[in-house]
Amino acid sequence: MTPLGGTAANQSKIPIVYTIRGCASCVKLLEKWNSEGVIYDERRVELSQATLDEARQYGKLVPIVVWPDGRVEQGFGDSFGCFI
Amino acid sequence: MSTATTVVTSTRFEQGLSWADFLASAKVNRDKFEKNYENPVLTEEDRIFFRRLSELPNGPRKLLAIAEAWCGDVYRELPTAVHIAELAGIQLRIFLRDENPDIMDEFLSNNGKSRAIPVFVFYTTATKYIAHFTERSASAHAGLALAMEQARTKLKLPSSASLGNISDAEQRQAFLQEVISRIEPHADQWRRDAASVSSGSHLTN
Repeated sequence: MTPLGGTAANQSKIPIVYTIRGCASCVKLLEKWNSEGVIYDERRVELSQATLDEARQYGKLVPIVVWPDGRVEQGFGDSFGCFI
Repeated sequence: MSTATTVVTSTRFEQGLSWADFLASAKVNRDKFEKNYENPVLTEEDRIFFRRLSELPNGPRKLLAIAEAWCGDVYRELPTAVHIAELAGIQLRIFLRDENPDIMDEFLSNNGKSRAIPVFVFYTTATKYIAHFTERSASAHAGLALAMEQARTKLKLPSSASLGNISDAEQRQAFLQEVISRIEPHADQWRRDAASVSSGSHLTN
């Protein structure tokens, strides 16, 4: 895993997205992807410490997306997203 | 927030979580809450201020917090609110933001667009609104603005550049990383500033 905007090892063929329930930026991203038919693996960080720790290895702001090619992106839209 | 239409009645207030119940229900960050609770930032001046304030006839006797355990600003600020409540004999009740949208809607920030947390609301014994504090200190907001300006300069972005108009994905990520790296070193100082701001101005309205 590589932190903050680098590349990371995502062995799956679909993007992994770390989200939080009630995070407006997360909701906007998933609405966009759903409208575009994007298939993704959503991991909710507020549900377990292990998932939160996993997300923190990639970034500080959810949503955090780990693409199959290893690119990591955090935040979405015109706000910072939620600090974790 | 301070009108007769508030959903925060005395009965509703009692339905919030105690600090112990909040900690017990937290699925994440318990270690961070406990660490910050064990390292209070209140000065002696702050302590005297809150004790005296709570003794006023219509002083704060109840403190409502809107929180979520995953939020960084919450695990930095909520333990300070717990200390204020404990030292001043103020009753603290914590409400989870995403389970209490009607309370959250009374304390939106950013011109009603943001559900920023934590929110701390002080009430009288009769649950009459006194004042509230949202999210983080003024110094933190100023520091964030400065970090954004410095990031624009380093990345040679126009002064109008913001998250809403940087269309290039790589440039946007670089901008975010520059901002984050600049604000992280100040987190502890801004936590101390939040307590000082609370005692210094908001409650004297």
